[in-house]
Amino acid sequence: MDKHDKLARVEQDVLAAMKRPGIGYLAALGCSATLFLILLGLWGYQMTTGMGVSGLMNPVGWGVYITNFVFWVGIAHSGTLISAVLFLFRARFRTSFNRPAEAMTVFALLVAGLFPLIHLGRTWKFYYLFPYPTQRMLWVNFRSPLIWDVFAVSTYLTVSVVFFYVGLIPDFAIVRRHKEGLAKRIYGVLSLGWTGTRRQWKNYNQLYLFLAAFATPLVASVHSVVSWDFAMSIIPGWHTTIFAPYFVAGAIFSGTAMVITLVVPMRKILALDRYITDDHFESIAKILLFTSLIVSYSYIVEFGLAAYSGNPFEMEQFRYRALGDYTVMFWIMISCNSLIPLTLFVRSLRRNVKYLFVLSLFVNVGMWVERFVIIVSSLARDFDPYAWGTYSPSFVEVGITLGSFGLFFTAYLIFLKTLPVLSITEIKEHL
Amino acid sequence: MERRMVFQDREEFLAALRDLAREGVSQKRIQVETPFHVHEVDEILPTKPAKVKNFALLGAASGTVTGFAFTILTSLSWPLIVGGKPIVSLPPFVIIAFALTILFGALSTFFGFLVLSRLPSVSGFVPKEEFGNAFVITVEPGETE
Repeated sequence: MDKHDKLARVEQDVLAAMKRPGIGYLAALGCSATLFLILLGLWGYQMTTGMGVSGLMNPVGWGVYITNFVFWVGIAHSGTLISAVLFLFRARFRTSFNRPAEAMTVFALLVAGLFPLIHLGRTWKFYYLFPYPTQRMLWVNFRSPLIWDVFAVSTYLTVSVVFFYVGLIPDFAIVRRHKEGLAKRIYGVLSLGWTGTRRQWKNYNQLYLFLAAFATPLVASVHSVVSWDFAMSIIPGWHTTIFAPYFVAGAIFSGTAMVITLVVPMRKILALDRYITDDHFESIAKILLFTSLIVSYSYIVEFGLAAYSGNPFEMEQFRYRALGDYTVMFWIMISCNSLIPLTLFVRSLRRNVKYLFVLSLFVNVGMWVERFVIIVSSLARDFDPYAWGTYSPSFVEVGITLGSFGLFFTAYLIFLKTLPVLSITEIKEHL
Repeated sequence: MERRMVFQDREEFLAALRDLAREGVSQKRIQVETPFHVHEVDEILPTKPAKVKNFALLGAASGTVTGFAFTILTSLSWPLIVGGKPIVSLPPFVIIAFALTILFGALSTFFGFLVLSRLPSVSGFVPKEEFGNAFVITVEPGETE
């Protein structure tokens, strides 16, 4: 096959995904959309009835909603790692994953952004968080980690959307060529009138490089800021210096697992084996293994810090985490995040895509549980035994959590049918 | 008379471009359209590096300044001591300034790209002719012709 046919083939193969959806796709879309509707219904119920319908209480005022926020922000991180950091490192296998990973980042952040609003109770007061000149001329408190969150997460969302869109511009021009009628006009406008002239490419390359450079520090900074929501307080188990790197490693770990969860079925259903090979999966599996080791190391360090702290509250907190009311959650976390991923040291397992898929599901569960353990067990047992209490989520919280997955997968499924699922231009360049 | 050459093969395209450069055709007259970025084109027709980076620097710097100015001035406009911290507490303000540096930097780089690449171009939304995966050289008529 000569070069020109190869280029045409890439377009055909990738754009084949955008054909009319089959029954399986519609069924999946229906299921996830239903879950999302359940979220909206339960959220409406909570808004009209009051926060009492959640399981939140004293002293556990942060529960599953904040767990979900931290989880989804974390999921977003590996998308940026794959698209920006691996771009700067010129890692070629990135081309197979960057588009779905960037889409995942944007959708995960949209879902994450929902949770502080849900958690607020009086959602309609959310704008109090934004710095704007109020009638009383009192500004927000910039010393509060919650305000840092607003800046960090909204910056992250904006930059991720721009990065995602910029990557799509030359591909929109390709889609435009393959479409007719109204669709052609829509993709034409989205492509901004891209034709691929010398001047466009020259500026485009520099833009992409700089956006990657701007996005790279966000990989480290955003989840650090999220971790400071906890670490800035004096609650035992939260108030520790290791939190920022610990959260960042966990974020990349969980996000990489989510990329595997999304891309394995996508590759199978859309028949993209030629572009996403087992070698590529092996590279991703190595990132998963590496970050798993960092996360496990952080678990050990956390216990070490507590053991050497000489602080009875801190020591009791870690005993409680491992052996107290949430012991089952704790050991699920250890098994899923530290023990099971160790199997990736075996090369044949790293190259076994089915195995990776199952493993990624375990890691997703493990990382969600990790956030739950950190948040809830520390609040359930702080200083004064009189103020202790155990928390379990209500059906409203469980439903909203499932609904957040519904929203995420709905967005992802729509992405599969409306945008090119792989970066056609980049694949062509590397052919 | 405008001259247009359409190549299916990358190497033939580059050879033709090299010939044009050797003939001494002015760079300004040569228009090139490619399906992806071909690095050799920049070597054959050397140009100054893109200026998008200036927008990046300007945006990032203005973000840093805005971040510090905004936090410090609003804190001073209603001096309220919170948690025994100084009114101007620089360490937390660094976080805001950092976020705005990246935000303004990224947006201004994107804006710079649009301006410098003359995008969005309305005539290009649905172009009259598209070359797909072909490499195209268009030579505009010179003054002597």
